[in-house]
Amino acid sequence: MGVTVLLADDHPLTRAGLKAYLETEDTIELVGEASDGDMAWDLIRKLEPQVALLDIRMPGKDGVTVARMIKESTLPVAAIMLTSYDAQQYVLASLRAGARGFILKTATPEELSRAILTVAKGGLYLDSEVAQAVGEKEFLPEAISVREREVLLLAARGFSSKEVAGQLYISERTVQTHLASIYDKLGARNKTESLLLGLKYGVVTLEELIE
Amino acid sequence: MKRRLLLVLSLGVLLPTLTVLVVAGFGIFQHEWAMEKVARSYVEDLAQNMAYKLDQESPAWRRMFPYSMNLHGWGMSSLASSVPGWVAIVNSEGQLIYASSGAENLASIWTPDIPIGKAIEIRDEKGAKYTIAVIPTSENQYFVVAAVEWEQLLGPMVRFNHLWFILVLIMVLSSLVALIPLFKWVIVPLRSLVNEIGYLKWGKDKPEKDDPRAVSEIRSLRSVLYDLSRAAIERDQLRDSYVNDIVKIQEEEKARIARDIHDGPLQAVTAFIQQIRLFKITSARGKSNSGDHLHLAEEAANATVRELRELCDDLSPPWLELGLANALTEVSERLSRHLGIRVTVDVPEDIALPEEYILSFFRVFQEAVNNSFRHGVADSVSGKVYREGEYVVFQIQDNGKGFEPSPDFQKLRVEGHRGLANMKERLGLLNGDLAIESSPGEGAILTCRLPFVNIENK
Ligand SMILES: Nc1ncnc2c1ncn2[C@@H]1O[C@H](COP(=O)(O)OP(=O)(O)OP(=O)(O)O)[C@@H](O)[C@H]1O
Ligand SMILES: [Mg+2]
Repeated sequence: MGVTVLLADDHPLTRAGLKAYLETEDTIELVGEASDGDMAWDLIRKLEPQVALLDIRMPGKDGVTVARMIKESTLPVAAIMLTSYDAQQYVLASLRAGARGFILKTATPEELSRAILTVAKGGLYLDSEVAQAVGEKEFLPEAISVREREVLLLAARGFSSKEVAGQLYISERTVQTHLASIYDKLGARNKTESLLLGLKYGVVTLEELIE
Repeated sequence: MKRRLLLVLSLGVLLPTLTVLVVAGFGIFQHEWAMEKVARSYVEDLAQNMAYKLDQESPAWRRMFPYSMNLHGWGMSSLASSVPGWVAIVNSEGQLIYASSGAENLASIWTPDIPIGKAIEIRDEKGAKYTIAVIPTSENQYFVVAAVEWEQLLGPMVRFNHLWFILVLIMVLSSLVALIPLFKWVIVPLRSLVNEIGYLKWGKDKPEKDDPRAVSEIRSLRSVLYDLSRAAIERDQLRDSYVNDIVKIQEEEKARIARDIHDGPLQAVTAFIQQIRLFKITSARGKSNSGDHLHLAEEAANATVRELRELCDDLSPPWLELGLANALTEVSERLSRHLGIRVTVDVPEDIALPEEYILSFFRVFQEAVNNSFRHGVADSVSGKVYREGEYVVFQIQDNGKGFEPSPDFQKLRVEGHRGLANMKERLGLLNGDLAIESSPGEGAILTCRLPFVNIENK
């Protein structure tokens, strides 16, 4: 028996395509389809699929909201956000809401099934297009210090440099120095990227991000 | 000069006052002096006349004089009673030999330092003024004393002089007093008004509405300025709200277009890619249904084209260039299809209008039909275009619920109802107007009127 999956997408054509993708995979079993957020939520509670593919933009509840509801209900369902938007902030918002994966609708069938299998096993999957935007694939980052990790995590939760400085009892300057060092080590250009890269390289975990 | 209003005004009051004071003072002085001369020559004449008469008398008379007091024969008493003043004759020892009636108070005004032969002024203890002259007879045996009280001789003139003096004084004082209100009620309020206006940010601030200290002219000037500045503020606010509205509409439009692209063509193209990929996978695996994916891909591509076309039509309908009749017919059919209600339009073929007129009617029609559908829940909307004198009229009527038209489009706009306001402004830009006839339960009739411009004349 394959991984059980629920597909929620309001656009019939893309939904049909995605459905066909999933049907080509023996390891994946599509257990339900939803055309809006409310329907998706109902089916998730009823079917408890291992993985929920959620379109971000849907009538009723949007995908991020449904992901958050899953997280809050502690149902054993891993959410993957499915979208046409590639903004990194969407990725962050989705991850904060508890999604375990982020994939573009234009992803190939292979990528889609890899994403599903990865999150079903408890992993984290970021779309290669989004991931590409955040750096080389084969890259072993220099280890970051404990302090740098703390700074990165607080910054990732949306605190400003000043607030981070206040929480760690260090100066704002020091925070910025730490951030610059983190960017260097991860090859990131900004906070969001450093976070996504941190997640990707396992420097920080998703759990730490959403606590 | 103009800047020193206070100075000018004060000088304007003070200078004439001072001039009057000086001229009048001089006049009063001169008058006093003239009166003095008159009184002096009068008493000198009187005394000399008497002294001369005494000299004419016989020495014998003079010897016995103290005992023969028959002076009446000289007409002294008649003189004394017919002319003002009095005379007295005193001998060299200072004894009073004769006194006309009224001369009793000689003693009261007599002082030893009265010079001989020259008239002077003296005052008695009551303050009454006299001119007195002492003239000796030829042998210095006797002295004739003549005096006249000013009041008696020059009464009205003295009084006039006093009155004049008082009048001038009153005038000077009152003009000085007048300067105070001038300063308090005119200069100060005017200055503070000028100051306020000077620092006023036009369109942002307004001056104080009233200044109770000021004279009514300045108050009304102030209230006019207040009204003007308030109008300026309102105009600025209106402009700001328009600009805000325009910016907001632009953003909303962009957001709407982005949404339309996302939900439409973007999804369809995504589906197209998916089907192509599925085709590749299934045909590689030799599945028999791979052709279905090609078929679906074609469908998705078709959907993309359809959606893009719709988007273009919505943004700027290309068929507007087909002329009024075709354009309106096209939009009526589209709206009818889209909303699922009856939409008809009747346009005479011979009315040819410039493109901006067609666009205007087209947008009005779109909005009107949408309103009829959304608010009026009408199931039939009909439009007709006709000529009426210098105008071309487009009337749109629905069979919906109707409403109470609000005359305040501006308010509607601010509340987020832009449809009718836009229609009105759109028509206004082409010098036309919009009339709305509706009442609850009656359906609605919109009448758009544009000055007719033949396309050939454009
Ligand atoms: N044909 C109609 N039948 C009934 N009510 C109407 C009709 N047209 C307009 N109204 C009323 O007038 C109001 C103003 O209309 P208007 O088109 O200006 O704004 P709107 O339709 O509410 O918003 P917008 O057009 O900006 O989307 C409407 O809210 C509605 O109450
Ligand atoms: Mg409207």
